[in-house]
Amino acid sequence: MSRMLRVEKRLTQTVWQDVFVTLLSLVLALLFGAVFLRALGVSPWEAYSEMFRASMGDFFGVTETIGKATPIMIAGVGVLLAFKMSVWNIGAAGQAFIGALAATTAVRYFFVDNRFVMFWIMLALVVVTAGSWSAIAGYLKARWNVNEIITTLMLNYIALQILYYFVYGPWRDPASLGFPMTAPFPLAARLPFLGETRIHIGLILAVILAIVFWYVFRSTRWGYEIRVMGQSPRTARFAGMNYGKNVVLVMFLSGAIAGIAGMGEIAGLAGRLQPGFTADYGYTAIIVAWLARLNPLAIPLVSFLIGALQVGGETLQIVMRLPLASTLVLQGLVLFFVLGGEFFRFYRIRLVREVSD
Amino acid sequence: MEFMVMILAAAVRSGTPIIFATLGEILTEKGGILNLGLEGIMLVGALTGFAVSFYTGQPWLGIGAAFLAGMALVSLHAFVSITLRGNQVVSGLALTIFGTGVSAFLGQRFIGLTITGLGRVAVPGLSTIPVVGRIFFEHDLLVYVSYFLVAFLWWFLVSTRAGLHLRAVGDTPRVAEAMGIDVTRVRYLATLLGGGIVAVGGAYLSVVYTNIWTEGMSAGRGWIAVALVIFAIWHPGRAAFGAYLFGGVVAFQLRLQAAGTRVPIPLLMMLPYLLTIVVLVFITIRQGKGILFGSPASLGQPYFREEST
Amino acid sequence: MRKITWIVVGLLVVFLGAGALAFEPISPEELRVGFVYVGPVGDGGWTFMHDLSRRSIEEKFPGATTSFVEAVPVGPDAVRVMETFIRHGAQLVFATSFGYMDQVIEVAQRHPEVIFMHCSGYRMADNVGVYFGRMYQARYLSGLVAGSLTESNVIGYVAAHPIPEVVRMINAFTLGVREVNPYAVVRVVWLFSWYDPGKETEATKALIDAGSDVIAMHADSGATALAAEEAGVYVIGYNSDMSRFAPTRHLTAPIWNWSVLTTYVAEQVINGTWRPENLWWGMDTGIVDLAPFGPAVPEEVRNLVGAARERIVEGAWKVFTGPIRDQQGAIRVAEGEVMSDEDLLSFSWFVEGVEGEIPARGN
Repeated sequence: MSRMLRVEKRLTQTVWQDVFVTLLSLVLALLFGAVFLRALGVSPWEAYSEMFRASMGDFFGVTETIGKATPIMIAGVGVLLAFKMSVWNIGAAGQAFIGALAATTAVRYFFVDNRFVMFWIMLALVVVTAGSWSAIAGYLKARWNVNEIITTLMLNYIALQILYYFVYGPWRDPASLGFPMTAPFPLAARLPFLGETRIHIGLILAVILAIVFWYVFRSTRWGYEIRVMGQSPRTARFAGMNYGKNVVLVMFLSGAIAGIAGMGEIAGLAGRLQPGFTADYGYTAIIVAWLARLNPLAIPLVSFLIGALQVGGETLQIVMRLPLASTLVLQGLVLFFVLGGEFFRFYRIRLVREVSD
Repeated sequence: MEFMVMILAAAVRSGTPIIFATLGEILTEKGGILNLGLEGIMLVGALTGFAVSFYTGQPWLGIGAAFLAGMALVSLHAFVSITLRGNQVVSGLALTIFGTGVSAFLGQRFIGLTITGLGRVAVPGLSTIPVVGRIFFEHDLLVYVSYFLVAFLWWFLVSTRAGLHLRAVGDTPRVAEAMGIDVTRVRYLATLLGGGIVAVGGAYLSVVYTNIWTEGMSAGRGWIAVALVIFAIWHPGRAAFGAYLFGGVVAFQLRLQAAGTRVPIPLLMMLPYLLTIVVLVFITIRQGKGILFGSPASLGQPYFREEST
Repeated sequence: MRKITWIVVGLLVVFLGAGALAFEPISPEELRVGFVYVGPVGDGGWTFMHDLSRRSIEEKFPGATTSFVEAVPVGPDAVRVMETFIRHGAQLVFATSFGYMDQVIEVAQRHPEVIFMHCSGYRMADNVGVYFGRMYQARYLSGLVAGSLTESNVIGYVAAHPIPEVVRMINAFTLGVREVNPYAVVRVVWLFSWYDPGKETEATKALIDAGSDVIAMHADSGATALAAEEAGVYVIGYNSDMSRFAPTRHLTAPIWNWSVLTTYVAEQVINGTWRPENLWWGMDTGIVDLAPFGPAVPEEVRNLVGAARERIVEGAWKVFTGPIRDQQGAIRVAEGEVMSDEDLLSFSWFVEGVEGEIPARGN
């Protein structure tokens, strides 16, 4: 007879457990991070308080964090939509590139000197272009069951090359002394900012989208169907749901939203398209959607926390003189701990007596 | 002809790091674990390989050390995915962030240094075969190791009992369990060994290919390997073909430029990715049911052994 | 004597007369300097060289504090990074890539008390200066070496991105090559990447297989030099002395020494004598130079390069002096004419002797 640990599935998960476990894993991550920081010879307490102060300690920090989080939020809602249907869209980065290209196209060829009209022209073009781009992967999946992980990943690289083509080639602004960037967008094509901050109205769009899809998945028939198709395509087929049509539709919407994230960065903050423009938030969005447990309403909060981690990481470089690499290590650690914590939401460990056979 | 031989030889060379990464991932995924952290593992492998070669002067020690370092790093992912049953997509992304950070952090002191890597060895006999010899058998030893690994993994998955067990674990862990296979143990082995092989791909970049270390030197090859696994439908032979195709297109456009030909570079650069999609569509359409190689049915799903008493 | 070149580019330059705005002197201990880096410090090239110059500020002015943020994407993120430097007391900010131009101007307008130095740009303000080095002078000299040593008359050039800076370097190099060897051509392979050592290696091999017996490069890592050494062809490095990568085949390398400029600016700030300047410094200041010659460079080539270097340093002769023909053979710069700095900054065509293409530019 011996004592041993046995893992058991929890029968129910309560909200209270969720919150407790998540908080606990965050605390553990921070503790472990403290050991790491101490090993680097800096005071963990100082480092953490600097990160906190920089990312949410005052008005500037909070608005900068929100600004950094805005594209993550938008793209997060986009990928979440596909994930709900168990369609693994990891092409948000490429879709954002296409969105940025479409926004630039609107400015170059369909310019109207009216901020309100221009916004809608840009938005329409971005939705159609980035949506169609993403729907390619949806169509291939619907028609021949082609794996969307690979198609969306490949489309990311293709989108980047298209961006290169235009920025190095036909769209290069002669007034920028031949540097590869487009001409600055006219004011009418810039998204307005909220007050004196660097938060553009993309944030409002993000919040609206999050609420809309929360409602859609909670209370509409279509949202219900998507969820069923995500959980059990077989059941869905028996119930007479059209999987193919919905894959294309969901990928269209998912890509269109990710495209809006790209448009927001270009028309909001940058004001022109240039090749150093990155869309890392396309990948971050995947992490965010998962951390939000595919709940649209949680996306803004999680994005904000991730944004805070990134903004705080920059400050660590400045104040504690730590290289970027150390903040990456810290980010990886936090993720691993939160992932590990998940375990305790679904399982519990009990000490049991066991009769050896 | 001469030009084509050179391109193909270059394709083999630049495809080799991707082959290792792809084979490692195939092994891992066949056990049912999805690992998206290849980029991070390759970087850690590249750094470890370089550092150990630098201190010992022995490139093979460096490659061995890279293998071990890859196993050590991927054990994080294995623990989270297998024991804690965490989300494998997110854990893989975390591994990429973590590996990129760790390698950049520890690699600072090796910037601007150089090592003596593996030299080229023509295979006696085989290298004298016209055309084929020059394309495949005038490389460094690690390239030959990759040939061997392709053949070995192919044979292992098809013809061995252990390979059968591995596939069973990846497809239907519950059935495998009933057959008396220790699912957890097999998954750990597949993930750890797979991670080690991926790291060797990274070490190829630093120890053999370039003989230097710089931050982020894997430059997206890990992601290409992730895609190639699916492209190859988990088949080692097709993985090699895909890796050479990728290496080949890059070599092709560089060589066209070097020959003074005017080429639309962005178009050529997107070619391998477009081709991947086209080939994937083609293969998917033709793919029959019940083939030996294919997506492990339980890929990415955590396995929980129900208490049956 | 330190010669400072004053240039005023275009209408965008808002230049108030010197002395209209003075900055207070500060003690070295109070000096806080922030650097915005475009790549990781570990790139081994551009950012690595800039980081050396950051450290030289701390060495030269004990007590001064410098800090940096690496791998900042060009664009809006730079605003927050610069703002954060300022919030932590920086009086001087170096932005080390052209892509930060809009952001530098934006932040500078909000913080007239802070001094900004922007690398390779052209927009200035009361508190914004621009700086760069005339690396093309060293490139030209290295071209003389390459042209003298090639036997196949094909010289390979591994180039990162088709931007004016890289184009200017290729042109200067080619002018040097053709000066001593009118039959030689320079073949360009674009990588579309700043640091991918694997691709650099492959591009180098491609150029060698296509008949190049001298390789020049404009990317961050030493992979090209290593590949050339292995293949037994000559190589001309970049950024720093790359002879450690190619002990027998390294001819020379155009190298950066940003420290002379960063410490100069820091000193001006400490003394309160800083003014918005366009510091496009040449070889005479030491910001750019040639690495020591490798063993393969014969005596007469060393003398030839030495003489040309002398003329450039003295200002007796400028690299881009006509007649200069383009790839089609048409004269673009007339005999005796010297290209303006604005033309150099926006270089978007290749001179005769370059084989390769710059992606087409529209309007």
